[in-house]
Amino acid sequence: MTGRWQLDHGVLARCSLGALLGVAMIASAAAASLLLPPLVQPASSEHHAGKVVWVDLVTPDLAGAKRFYGALFGWSFNDIHSGHTDYSVALLDGRPLGGLVQRAPPSGEPRQPAWLTFISVRDVAATERSILTHGGKLLMSPRNYAQRGRQAVFADPQGAVFAVLQSSSGDPPDVLAAPGEWIWSSVMARDAAQDAAFYQDVFGYEVFENPTDDGATHVVLSSDDYARASLNTLPADAARRHPHWLNFVRVTSASDTAARVVALGGRVLVQPFTDRHGGQVAVVADPAGAPFGLLEWAEADGQQDAK
Amino acid sequence: MNTLMKTLMKTLVNRRSMRALFVIVSAALAGCVVGGGYDGGPGADYGGAGVDYGVDYYEPFGYDYGGWGPGYGVGPPRRGYDRGGYDRGGRGDGHVAPHPAYRPAAPSRSMPSLPSRPRGR
Repeated sequence: MTGRWQLDHGVLARCSLGALLGVAMIASAAAASLLLPPLVQPASSEHHAGKVVWVDLVTPDLAGAKRFYGALFGWSFNDIHSGHTDYSVALLDGRPLGGLVQRAPPSGEPRQPAWLTFISVRDVAATERSILTHGGKLLMSPRNYAQRGRQAVFADPQGAVFAVLQSSSGDPPDVLAAPGEWIWSSVMARDAAQDAAFYQDVFGYEVFENPTDDGATHVVLSSDDYARASLNTLPADAARRHPHWLNFVRVTSASDTAARVVALGGRVLVQPFTDRHGGQVAVVADPAGAPFGLLEWAEADGQQDAK
Repeated sequence: MNTLMKTLMKTLVNRRSMRALFVIVSAALAGCVVGGGYDGGPGADYGGAGVDYGVDYYEPFGYDYGGWGPGYGVGPPRRGYDRGGYDRGGRGDGHVAPHPAYRPAAPSRSMPSLPSRPRGR
């Protein structure tokens, strides 16, 4: 009887071990199985450290966001479902532009959706060390995603949140964004000079002082001899403003697009105005409240002989 | 004697199995804990644990955007933008601005702009 019990016990233990191994393998696969598209297809050896190479919208209404951005910019979407995640890749003419991910807003204090900016880096671990050394904060530990690469989320010392991405397929080439594509990014900070020092130390940007008429600090962050982002002092009445990144989509008419935003259920946060390059800029929000910018940019604006 | 040896062997195997089981379960639990995403951050919530895509950033609510007065410029500069008069020490009037926290680009560097090359060329 004892021998029989031992035999049954042994079989039971081996079966349990097998079952647990199976469950563990399935759980691990599910936890790491979100198959994001590569940034560049076919893969290239191009890397542009410091360039904004991706954006993710975290929204409570993925279907509504797809309707809005599809109608506004003509984006199409590839849906990816994995585990707990509903993710959709936004495309324009077949080119991936960014991701939209469905997430319930956190309970308690009200929050609003946002587009998260991803900056290209060559080495996430080294970037993490540098960010922490210079007063930034780690918000999401580095994680690998098959085909995509390694990414992590941080806050700069003033609280503006951004992500870094070490793409495993290279970075998109430096070409002029088409209308409907992301073209520009800006950071709004309480102390623009201090924040510029942080981004320069971490990403190696060249910092160009940029004159404006309001007397506040505005600089341009540059890498590979291209302007990558502007960094601006928040307006003086900064009590109800928080440091943040803001990304801009190229449009042919900021006024027309802003009107379309309203017709589609969004809001205009900053009415179109003429910026220093001569084109119009506006800030709008999608129906769920995620802010983004609109930027007019003529082809001649970026050419060498433009004045 | 033979039966006793067999029983002993099975018990030994079972103990090994149980030990292995313990190690795997511990590793799985540790993996779940370590695999949790965000650590929290200033003014934002970072759940992350238990999801397979760690990005779940929501901005603080109720803040104003804009409020940009006249002359507030956020857009990219045009190629060939004139930096004259704003390069530190380069104003030509003897004025030297306070040294900023960052290292400004050399006055000889021209202001960069956006890429102008169309896609596919």
